[in-house]
Amino acid sequence: MSLEAPDTPETDAVTEHDPEELAALLGDLVVGRDDHLNAPGFVIRPDTVQETLSILKEQAGYDHLSVVSAQEYENRYESIYHLKKFDDPTQEVSVVVPADKDSPVSESAEPVFRTADWHEREAYDLIGIEYDDHPDLRRILLPETWQGHPLSMDYDKDQPQIASLPSHVNPIQEHHMDDESDTMFLNIGPHHPATHGVLHLKTVLDGEQVVDVESDIGYLHRCEEQMAQNGTYRHQIMPYPDRWDYISAGLLNEWAYARAAEDLADIEVPEYAQVIRTMGAEMCRIAAHMLALATFALDVNGDFTATFMYAINDRERVQNLLEDLTGQRLMFNYFRLGGVVWDLPEPREEFFSKTRDFLDQLPGSVEEYHNLITSNEIFQMRTIDTGILPPEVAKDYGATGPVARGSGVDYDLRRDDPYGYYDELDWDVITEDGCDNYSRLLVRMQEVEESAKIIGQCIDLLEDWPEEERNIQANVPRTLKPDDDTEIYRAVEAAKGELGIYMRADGTDKPARFKIRSPCFSNLQTLPEMANGEYIPDVIAALGSLDIVLGEVDR
Amino acid sequence: MIGLMKSMATTMKHALDGKTFTVEYPEDAPDVSPRFRGVHKFSQERCIWCRQCENVCPNDTIQIVQDDKRNGEQYNLHIGQCIYCRLCEEVCPVDAILLTQNFEFTADTKDDFVYNKEQLKNVPWYKGIDPLESRNPDRGAWIGEGDGEIDYQ
Amino acid sequence: MGTAPAQLFPEFIAETLGISGVPGQVVGALIAAAVIGNIVLAFTGVAGPWAKRKITAAFTDRIAVDRIGPFGLLIIPAAAVQLLAKELIVPEGVDRPTWDIAPILLPASALLGFAVIPMGHLGPVNLQLADPEVGLALVFAFASIASVSLVMAGYASNNKYSMLGGLRAVAQNLAYEIPLIVTAMSVVIFAGTLQMSGIVEAQQDVLFTIAGFDIPTWYALVNPFAFVLFLTANMAEIGRNPFDIPEAPTEIVGGYQTEYSSAYFVLFYLGEFVHIFLGGAILAVTFLGGASGPGPESIGFLWFVVKIWGFFLFTQWARAAFPRVRIDQLIEIGWKGMLVLSFANLVLTAVIVGVIV
Repeated sequence: MSLEAPDTPETDAVTEHDPEELAALLGDLVVGRDDHLNAPGFVIRPDTVQETLSILKEQAGYDHLSVVSAQEYENRYESIYHLKKFDDPTQEVSVVVPADKDSPVSESAEPVFRTADWHEREAYDLIGIEYDDHPDLRRILLPETWQGHPLSMDYDKDQPQIASLPSHVNPIQEHHMDDESDTMFLNIGPHHPATHGVLHLKTVLDGEQVVDVESDIGYLHRCEEQMAQNGTYRHQIMPYPDRWDYISAGLLNEWAYARAAEDLADIEVPEYAQVIRTMGAEMCRIAAHMLALATFALDVNGDFTATFMYAINDRERVQNLLEDLTGQRLMFNYFRLGGVVWDLPEPREEFFSKTRDFLDQLPGSVEEYHNLITSNEIFQMRTIDTGILPPEVAKDYGATGPVARGSGVDYDLRRDDPYGYYDELDWDVITEDGCDNYSRLLVRMQEVEESAKIIGQCIDLLEDWPEEERNIQANVPRTLKPDDDTEIYRAVEAAKGELGIYMRADGTDKPARFKIRSPCFSNLQTLPEMANGEYIPDVIAALGSLDIVLGEVDR
Repeated sequence: MIGLMKSMATTMKHALDGKTFTVEYPEDAPDVSPRFRGVHKFSQERCIWCRQCENVCPNDTIQIVQDDKRNGEQYNLHIGQCIYCRLCEEVCPVDAILLTQNFEFTADTKDDFVYNKEQLKNVPWYKGIDPLESRNPDRGAWIGEGDGEIDYQ
Repeated sequence: MGTAPAQLFPEFIAETLGISGVPGQVVGALIAAAVIGNIVLAFTGVAGPWAKRKITAAFTDRIAVDRIGPFGLLIIPAAAVQLLAKELIVPEGVDRPTWDIAPILLPASALLGFAVIPMGHLGPVNLQLADPEVGLALVFAFASIASVSLVMAGYASNNKYSMLGGLRAVAQNLAYEIPLIVTAMSVVIFAGTLQMSGIVEAQQDVLFTIAGFDIPTWYALVNPFAFVLFLTANMAEIGRNPFDIPEAPTEIVGGYQTEYSSAYFVLFYLGEFVHIFLGGAILAVTFLGGASGPGPESIGFLWFVVKIWGFFLFTQWARAAFPRVRIDQLIEIGWKGMLVLSFANLVLTAVIVGVIV
């Protein structure tokens, strides 16, 4: 947390609501309570979703719908709307919407929160809950032809899945093509140099201008949630977060799981381990932002740009440090519940001096990037005032991370919902008011410098840490079995924004439901807002500035 | 214009300083960190066939076959499927399985990546580094261990 | 103006072979054209698979090709074999004759441009195929055939990306051809001739002398403003960064050449490089004194080579350093900026020349 900013949210005038006040506010809408470890939970009827959420949004200020997590129980379906406040994300409330087991229908929250659109589509796709009043309830991750809902209880995983698209299409569906229109439909991706993975953009063009763009995701869906549900809390889940946002943001992702699981099982992490975690996580953030910068330069400058290679060089340097620390360059598996697996590498002095060397040369590199891209007139021409995302829209879509901060939304979980060692350190949250591609890039570049500041302070702390107090892992039992029916949603500030984990324990050593709130998923949803009406190159630039990783979008 | 000039100056500076970041790979074998995790090495002499590695493995990469007296018969590891999380090494009570720093392995088919215990035993050390010593200095290294000297069975 | 220059290359060959009259002209012209064409193609052969990679690698702190032969030079035949040995994939629904002609037209038009370029002396030989009175106009005419080829390729490929690329090529060429030629006109006003050899000759005077070193009246030095204008327009004309929008691999995945493979792709690739060298040659002739440079006239060709390779290096430098502009911005720069500036330059030059002369 910044020491220069005394008006932290705690002292700010964000009204706190205790659960009783909220219950009174909602009145008859509440039919029961189902509290989670992180927030009070109100059970409501499935046909009052919009009413409840708009009261909470407008009268109590819960303006951030983090995630919609859905699951099936023995006797019912359930959708949970995890609400937060952008001004103070520690104020949370869960809205639990049970739906009938035989015909799971629930009212859509899309008219209240735009972000619910994709989240509810995902719930429909994987669990099978139908959302009334949803503008476009189609499958999102799985192919349109898929039969059954894989995370529902009666799903037959052995049933054949061969259904061709022609046999699946609706014969009386309206045909959009006509002789009058002047537009052209263009598939960008799934194999396109600038989609940063297997993303498919269905674009409608009017000349060079984009009339409409729709993202088609799911090509990299690997059932990460189900894999986590089949893994034990203690060991087997931790390697997988590395593979969500796989571009070296691994430690940040691991922290999301570690934080949620530690709070679920009530594990205290030693302070020394927290400092190491903080340092490692910020190294990952630098690596991730360097790649974001590199690929953004690639998208705007065209291939063979030198910027790409310079940024990759810097990323390699920080990856060398991470390799020394964790033993791997991408898939770290370094965090354990209750701490980290290793202390700093011996000899410690060498590691400190290597890290300091890196931190010393970093300002020079950043200066070079400013010379190469941000001060370049052509680059400014290309990025300033393109891909506009107004702050209100960003909030409505649940955009977080550099995307939201580039639109002036002052939201950073490291400061607003402190974890690790962040609140003891001196650093700033970066925001830019430009709302365009350029500001998002600037935010990332400045965050790299802030991360360097954090790493520097961590190094100083670690260097002076008394040898006998270097406790890297709390004493955690070999098998963890959190109490039955405890639920938790916890988020951390990952490289792309708020990465949250919702978990429900059922008394075994494996989670009964594991839901990932991916920042890229929500951020990508804003693409049409930025791209419609712009030129093709601006769509590419906007996509680059969103810095999505398909591994995290599709999970 | 000044911004354009700056960009050109920066790239030219890099072109003229003569430094390269890439290396000629097979000739310049890279130094990996002591903690780096590569292909596994298995010591049948040490193994007590407790099957903890098999249990902890997140994606069923390790397969152990025992006879009816619980004596170990087979120890198979699919190094192409492995995610190199090192949990097997972490849970092993006798350090019978280690991840060497060796990352250079090739095969013609995917099936060739299924290593049996003999193949796992013959995985070479990378540059003669014993990874156990660098990762957990307090645990005994087995780099120079002779055949059959220690047998926990 | 334009005193009869030294003996041209075809005439030299005819004379050396001792054939006179019409047969001499034909034989001489064919042999000379073959020699010049091969020199230019050899440049592109070196530039494409090897020099381009090495230069880009230098800018990006890499090593690049160094495995085959000294400095990796044998990558050139290796790449040639590799590219030509690939299967030529003909996509369904392409507009057949057009689709086949386009990749031939691009290198052909660029090579044709070299017919009138005075490439200087190499020993006793004057490496120029023809020196018509309207040389400069002719070379621009040849060079702009290239955009026809791009449109043909884009339109015939039956691919939306290709079509976007082809259309971008037209828009770009329209926007830049005019400022390019208008700027070149200012040179013509200076030189008083359209003949290429005459333009070169007009740049041989001494502008001023520094420390006993003669600075020639190269138009780049006489009128640097026009030089920058011409350089910019030339970059757009040959479609290099920051004006590589007809290809724009990160946007429209290679534009007009998306669907081409194997030999056709090689032809496009070749054509682009010949085009870069032609752009360099035009620049050298109009602004950099052609083949002139220190030393005897007989090594003029070497200076010429240095100049066009210098231009090639510049395009690669720009590619490493500059972002690509957007198509609408390019049109705006072309029509609203460059056109106005080039006309201003033309009028100013005319006035100055009129007053001085």
